[in-house]
Amino acid sequence: MRYVLRRLGFYLLAAWASLTMNFVIPRLAPGDPATAMFARFEGRISPEALVALKTAFGFTDAPWHVQYFTYLKHLVTGDMGLSYAYYPSPVTEVIGTGLLWTLGLAGCAVIISFAVGTMLGVLAAWNRGGWLDSALAPALAFLGAFPYFWLAMLALYLFGFGLGWFPLRHAYSHDVEPGATLTFIADVGRHAVLPATSIVVATLGGWMLSMRNTMVAVLGTDTLRLAHAKGLPPRQVMLRYAARNALLPNVTGFGMALGFVLSGSLLTEIVFSYPGTGYLLILAVRNQDYPLMQGLFLVITLAVLAANFAVDLLCLWLDPRTRAHA
Amino acid sequence: MRETLRRLLRQRKAAVGGTLLLGFLLVALVGPWFVMDPTELMGQPHQPPSSAHWFGTTGQGQDVLAQTVVGARETLAIGFAVGALVTLVGALVGITAGYLGRRVDDALTLTTNIFLVIPGLPLAIVLGAYLPSGPFRMVVVLTFAGWAWNARVFRAEALALRGRDFVAAAVVAGESHARIITRELLPNMASLVASSFIGNTLYAVGAQVGLEFLGLGDVGAVTWGTNLYWAGNDAALLTRSWWIFVPTGICIALVGFSLTLLSSAIDELTNPSLRAPPKAPKAAVVHAVATPAQEATAPGALLSVRELSIEYMTQAGPSRVVDQVSLDIAPGEVFGLAGESGSGKSTLGYALLRLLPSSAAITQGRILFEGTDVTALSPEALRAFRWSRVSMVFQSAMSALNPVLTLGEQFHDTLAAHGGGSRASSYARGRELLAMVGLKPELVDAWPHQLSGGMRQRVGIALALALEPRLVVMDEPTTALDVVVQKELLQRVLELKSRLGFAVLFITHDLPLLLALSDRVGILQAGKLVEVDTAQRLRTDARHPYTRLLLSSFPHLGATDTQAPTPDVLEQAASALKAPLAALPGGRR
Repeated sequence: MRYVLRRLGFYLLAAWASLTMNFVIPRLAPGDPATAMFARFEGRISPEALVALKTAFGFTDAPWHVQYFTYLKHLVTGDMGLSYAYYPSPVTEVIGTGLLWTLGLAGCAVIISFAVGTMLGVLAAWNRGGWLDSALAPALAFLGAFPYFWLAMLALYLFGFGLGWFPLRHAYSHDVEPGATLTFIADVGRHAVLPATSIVVATLGGWMLSMRNTMVAVLGTDTLRLAHAKGLPPRQVMLRYAARNALLPNVTGFGMALGFVLSGSLLTEIVFSYPGTGYLLILAVRNQDYPLMQGLFLVITLAVLAANFAVDLLCLWLDPRTRAHA
Repeated sequence: MRETLRRLLRQRKAAVGGTLLLGFLLVALVGPWFVMDPTELMGQPHQPPSSAHWFGTTGQGQDVLAQTVVGARETLAIGFAVGALVTLVGALVGITAGYLGRRVDDALTLTTNIFLVIPGLPLAIVLGAYLPSGPFRMVVVLTFAGWAWNARVFRAEALALRGRDFVAAAVVAGESHARIITRELLPNMASLVASSFIGNTLYAVGAQVGLEFLGLGDVGAVTWGTNLYWAGNDAALLTRSWWIFVPTGICIALVGFSLTLLSSAIDELTNPSLRAPPKAPKAAVVHAVATPAQEATAPGALLSVRELSIEYMTQAGPSRVVDQVSLDIAPGEVFGLAGESGSGKSTLGYALLRLLPSSAAITQGRILFEGTDVTALSPEALRAFRWSRVSMVFQSAMSALNPVLTLGEQFHDTLAAHGGGSRASSYARGRELLAMVGLKPELVDAWPHQLSGGMRQRVGIALALALEPRLVVMDEPTTALDVVVQKELLQRVLELKSRLGFAVLFITHDLPLLLALSDRVGILQAGKLVEVDTAQRLRTDARHPYTRLLLSSFPHLGATDTQAPTPDVLEQAASALKAPLAALPGGRR
């Protein structure tokens, strides 16, 4: 329990740090970005609304600590200001649906990729020097060297535009009514195949290689020698002794890489005009929609922190040693 | 240093990676003078590759080849600049934290960990959005978003080095912190600096291309990222103009791949276990054709080893570790095997269960156990033979237990693998065995980490007796224990032996201990069994000079040296991942 609380405390601290960075960066930036930021709203909204917006963001003449508390107060109530690109929708509302799509797409892709890559790594290390190890591993490592979004472009070019097997853009067809129907779910699935596959292909090699390397280290230990000596069936030695022990550091690594993998999949969304947070991100950048950009930063960061906490809990469950101290 | 570089170049990975990277650097340096102006509108838009435009034209009619070649320059320049800067910042923060320790370490480590969990791309975007456009912005943003991973790696290394003698000596000598860091710590981190720099450059190229693709770069400049940005904007896919984005992507991947190859080559250099092991030597003698000497077994012997030779494949060629050893062990006998480290005694012990590493093989001779030729057993027969007939207590039994399974589970899988019954009956047997070695039966539900080293060693013995084998090989089972625990444990082993009647092959470098314990003792020197005799006779009139030397080198009976406990498998697994973490998908960020 103490371990869980300590981790939770750490993530709260990290969340606070990112909130604060979000507050500090626009105020430290050279020039007067605050003015530039609000100048974009001029003409679109009334002067009174502009003042209200500035206040909401904490950009007032008040001393910085007062501004900071105003900012925190608004965040706590879920108020991140108004989006410029989607004016007059509040940022929270714009991000809400986008986050769901991102979590669905990136979440599934990352979990599939980690599971498959880890299994391939186990097999490659177990049959060291076999074709998995000597042919597939380098091939996947080469694929992993391409930017995610470039693989997405290629996949879209070949299987979308070229062969016409999969839809070209969006998360579902506009003529399908969203809802808990089989047609809608099948349609969403068809739309997710290409983006998800390109994320999986781009990341698979990394998971495989790191699992392979830990497995190789584990295979040389006395624990494995004892397992063989005891006359255990090979499958049991491979899974319960080698893979089970090699998994733990890889799950920790998985948590650490989550943020980076998510960043890559955000770019993938852009290629498919997938309505997730990545697509919103590019809209925000191109329209210089600062409120949306900052809101996205916060929301994505909080999502990654939550995912990291979940990975910590998973590690806790996997490792009897920390479980005992927890 | 020069030797390290030479070894690096001999590796194929390093050679391929280095050549590729040098090629791209050359193109980036001189290429722009040989191609057209990449921004000039040279022809019709969306033209496929032709003799006029080898890579075709963009959606605005620019030459794709020119854009690809010129793009290499700024992309690589920013990549290497960020790579160097991230390494510098990371090393500075990490070493300061690791070296100074205490509060400074706490604060810096916390900051580092926070930056590690904050996703890089959104952070880079928020920061980048407020900075004036240009290459400088890219460098600042990427360094800010990417330094943390390095700080973590360098901190761990600094912590490890700080505990070493030469650093302690420098501290005692009163050298300044700055001098110790630059003169003592940094030179010992050369390979880490190199692999970090490569990993960071890889990150920088990937992240830079991503940000530029988003439109956060200078869209007027020619870089690989902006090429792809324009490809997306100019509807390269819609017009089926694959040539606009394919060359740039392949260049990015080739640069990334070359950097991955280089970093993996450095990893293998510093961590040889990642390299492919050498193939085991072939058996020189076919088993079917046994010499008469190999056929002759002593009547009534439990185990007969006949002219056994074992070779390891090393980089210098095959090396014979056990050389034509023959010995017999009678039922219930304690046979001691003594020799210095490297004499081949452990290898011989492992060979009895055919537990040799993949780089070693039995090249000659036989191992006959109750008339069965162990060297000729099929994999399934061997599996059934192991533990039920011959079991083993490892030198490192304390780290050999599986840390993620309770003791009960480890008893159960052993019993189940040899046709045992239910989990409940296995646990009952586990409790019985634990009591037999003097441990509380309740410990059957404990995890290995909850036990002390001495207790774990007892568990190792209990486990070895689970299937009531006829022979137990004990490889330095007490070396890692302190003298009192050692004595207690050996007492227990002898008691159990007389009760259960198993034979023991006891392997140790501690000859006086062996003489006190064994019925007969064999002396192994450089793989050859130079003398075998009863303990009684060896003590008083050893014939071989080497035996006498061994005897005289121990000042009194019971002399021991204790070793630091080996890390368990989870710790070894975790340390294996330290360096190659850069190869995770996260390595690209």
